[in-house]
Amino acid sequence: MKRVFGVSLGSSQRDHTAQVQMLDEPIELQRKGTDGDLSRAEALIREIDGRVDAIGLGGIDVYLYARGERYTVRDGLRLMQAAEKTPAVDGSGIKDTLERDAVRYIAAQTNLLTPKTRVLMVSAVDRFGMAEAFVELGCPVVFGDLIFSAGMPYPITTLDELADIAHRILPEMGKMPFTMLYPTGKEQEGPQDEGRFREYYDAADVIAGDWHYIRKYLPERIDGKWILTNTTTSRDIEELRRRGATHVATTTPVMGGRSFGTNLIEAMIVALAQKRPEELGHEGYSAWLQRLRLTPRIEDLGGGPA
Amino acid sequence: MSEAPKERLFASLDLFREKVNDNARLRQMNRDWNRDIAVVARDLPEVEASISMREGQMDWQPQAVENPHIVLSAPADVLIGIFRGDSTPTEPYLDGSLTLRGTQEDVLRLDFVSLMIWGE
Repeated sequence: MKRVFGVSLGSSQRDHTAQVQMLDEPIELQRKGTDGDLSRAEALIREIDGRVDAIGLGGIDVYLYARGERYTVRDGLRLMQAAEKTPAVDGSGIKDTLERDAVRYIAAQTNLLTPKTRVLMVSAVDRFGMAEAFVELGCPVVFGDLIFSAGMPYPITTLDELADIAHRILPEMGKMPFTMLYPTGKEQEGPQDEGRFREYYDAADVIAGDWHYIRKYLPERIDGKWILTNTTTSRDIEELRRRGATHVATTTPVMGGRSFGTNLIEAMIVALAQKRPEELGHEGYSAWLQRLRLTPRIEDLGGGPA
Repeated sequence: MSEAPKERLFASLDLFREKVNDNARLRQMNRDWNRDIAVVARDLPEVEASISMREGQMDWQPQAVENPHIVLSAPADVLIGIFRGDSTPTEPYLDGSLTLRGTQEDVLRLDFVSLMIWGE
């Protein structure tokens, strides 16, 4: 059996283990959160290095992208380099293809997404493929990168402006402690400032992107809206249902009641392929995604078009 | 103390104010961010300065401020470098020569302001 281990900077309350079958190959997936403690995450990676088939790095990005530019997150790179024997991946190898395809799939297969659908993407530099797919479809999109990472009430509305701001900010911000930029540990256990920036949620039909950012300021009521994200647990889904969301679409498959992060899906591919990420490359990952036939899971929470 | 470092610090604050206030996008980004920021040059203890942000506009005064939201403290040369855009706040923050006391969101926002002006 292949063993894939996810080390996350996120909350240990979201730990889980699951056994899945992929292309008839049994895989044990284990996710362990380190509650925002980077040193603990690094120590855990060193401990499991060489003892599992692949490591997924969760709750942190190693690379962020905007318009073909790649920006490195120093803390993420530190974790990746802690694994000297086992390949460690952050999901960025498959995210672009997987999430771009997820938007296209939902537009083609459901009535949830049309060129008139208003989208709030809570953060786009960690999901540039998804951002481009919404724009290609013609959707009016608000990119909330400044709102959700820095609390700045500034909606970015074009990919050009997003790329310009990313170019100014990310080379330096990537050097800062990641915990300053993104909810980690206990911050992941519930909304931090419920209802703040409500106007951006209210003005959208779809709220898309990173789940922890979506939840950061989630208003009490989001009636009639649907969510496109991943890493949700069954408890998260219930919370969205209670707040009035009509559907939740996850870009990664649901296994054992929760959808996994792209880092774990990429780690599974690395384990199945028995190749290092650099050997797989973009084409290798695309071929594996086609073989795995991953499509978004759309859950009807009751009410609304489907 | 020679006057030169003090004058250079004040000149750098003038330049920073001009850059912040001339940037329409930054004014919009900071329209809700009303903050008082104490500027402490550790090697110039007799020099006092503070920045005020009000509805997207920045001003500064050659005097201390009571109960600042953020305290920005570093040797004068480091502060001058940041206000003039000769260096970013990141490296001095990470090597400890620049300390920022305030809420995490305010500290992050101050970094963003600097990078929006000087970032490449």
